[in-house]
Amino acid sequence: MNGAHDLGGMHGFGPVEPERDEPVFHHEWERRAFAITLASGFLGQWNIDMSRSAREQMPAAEYLATTYYEHWLFGLERLLVEKGFVKPEEIEARVAELRRQRAGRAAES
Amino acid sequence: MSGHDHPHDHDHDHEDGSRFSEVELRVRALESLLVDKGLVDPTALDALIDTYETKIGPRNGARVVARAWVDPGYKRRLLEKGGAAIAELGYEGRQGEDIVVLENTPTVHNVVVCTLCSCYPWPVLGLPPVWYKAAPYRSRAVIDPRGVLREFGTELPDGVEVRVWDSTAELRYLVLPERPAGTEGMSEEELAGLVTRDSMIGVSRVAAPAVP
Amino acid sequence: MRVLTGADVEQAIRTSGGARVHVELPAKFKAGDRVVARNLHPLGHTRLPRYARGRRGVIDRDHGVFIFPDAHAAGAGQKPQHVYAVRFSLRELWGPEASERDCVLIDLWDDYLDPA
Repeated sequence: MNGAHDLGGMHGFGPVEPERDEPVFHHEWERRAFAITLASGFLGQWNIDMSRSAREQMPAAEYLATTYYEHWLFGLERLLVEKGFVKPEEIEARVAELRRQRAGRAAES
Repeated sequence: MSGHDHPHDHDHDHEDGSRFSEVELRVRALESLLVDKGLVDPTALDALIDTYETKIGPRNGARVVARAWVDPGYKRRLLEKGGAAIAELGYEGRQGEDIVVLENTPTVHNVVVCTLCSCYPWPVLGLPPVWYKAAPYRSRAVIDPRGVLREFGTELPDGVEVRVWDSTAELRYLVLPERPAGTEGMSEEELAGLVTRDSMIGVSRVAAPAVP
Repeated sequence: MRVLTGADVEQAIRTSGGARVHVELPAKFKAGDRVVARNLHPLGHTRLPRYARGRRGVIDRDHGVFIFPDAHAAGAGQKPQHVYAVRFSLRELWGPEASERDCVLIDLWDDYLDPA
C-alpha cells in the first residue's frame, strides 16, 4: 500500500540524529513490546510479511508521529485481534484495570 | 517521526502522564493477557530480551570484519557467500538467514538502508539503532546519500561511487569497511576493537588508530 | 500450536526464519539485463517502493528464489520467484540534477519487473 512507511525520497524530516552510546532499549515497555511481538510470532499463526503489513495499516499521520515500537505494538494488536486470540474489549478492560491500579498507587504515595 | 523523546532517565516507569505512559499501560495490558491465556511464556520473554540486549551485537560483525582483514581466504569466502562465512564464526539466525557482504574499496563506498521499515542483519549487528529506523535516514539515504554521510562526518571524494542498498527483501547486507592505514602490526582482536557498527552499515569509515 | 519457552529461545533464534525457497525455478532476468520497475500500486502489502516504480535499472545480481511478500502477506501462498538486486542511478530516480554515477540498488522480485 502507498503508506507513510514508504519513505524513500521524502523531504522534510530534518537531519539524522544519532544518539551517542545508545542503549538497545530506551524504556522497559520497549523491551516488553519487542519480546511479546517475537514470542507471539513464534506461535506460527502469521508470517513476517503479515507482520509488516499489519504495521503498515497504521494511519499515516499516526505512523509519522510515533516511535518504532509503537508501530510494533499497533501491528501486534491488529494481528492478535484478527486471528482471534484477543478481543479488543479484553485489551481495553485490562488497560482500564492497570490504569486504576496505577491511580491507586499514586493516591497512596 | 520522533526518534527519541526522553533524553533524561530512561528506565523510570512513565507515571508522569507523558505520552509513553499510555503506551506502557497498553504493552503491559497486552503482555498480561497473553501470559494469562498461555500464549506466551514469561521465561521466553526474558530470554529474548536478554539475548538481544546483551548477547547479540555489533562485536559479532567486528570479528567478521577483522577476520576478513587478516585472512584473504576468509575474505574471499565472505564476499562469495556471506552467510556461510559468517556462520563459520558462529553467528547465524533470525534476520540474517541470507547475508550478502559488500566490500568498500577506494573507488566504491556501500551504505545500507531499509526505506520501508528497519531490515538489518541482526546476527552480526544486533538490533538497529533508532536513527536507522527513523524517517530522516530512511527518507534521505536513497536521495541524498552523500549528504547523509557528511552528517556522520564521512566525506567522500567525487571519484568514489556511492552505492546505497535498500533492503527490501529478506537479504541482509553487511558492509566490509576498508582497513585503515597504520594497522599493519595489529592483532585480529585489536583490529576488531577498531570496527564500529556505523562502519558496517556504511555511514562511517573505520578510523585509523589514534597515535599515542 | 506450540508456545515458546525460555529453553527454546536460543535454538528458535538460530533456526527459525528465512524466506529462501529451495526450488529450481527459471529466472526472468540475468545480471546485465535492463529492466523497468512496474507501476503497481496495490492496496495490500508490497516491497516495491514508490520511488522505484516506472524507473529503469540494470540487474546487478540474481539472489535466487524467495517467498513473494505480496502474496504471502495476503495469505495467498509463497509464490516463490527470483529476487534481484537492481541498480538505479540517482539521476534516473531523482532527475537530471542528481548524480549519474552514484546509485541505489533495490531488491526486487520477478513480479515487479519488466524488460526495458
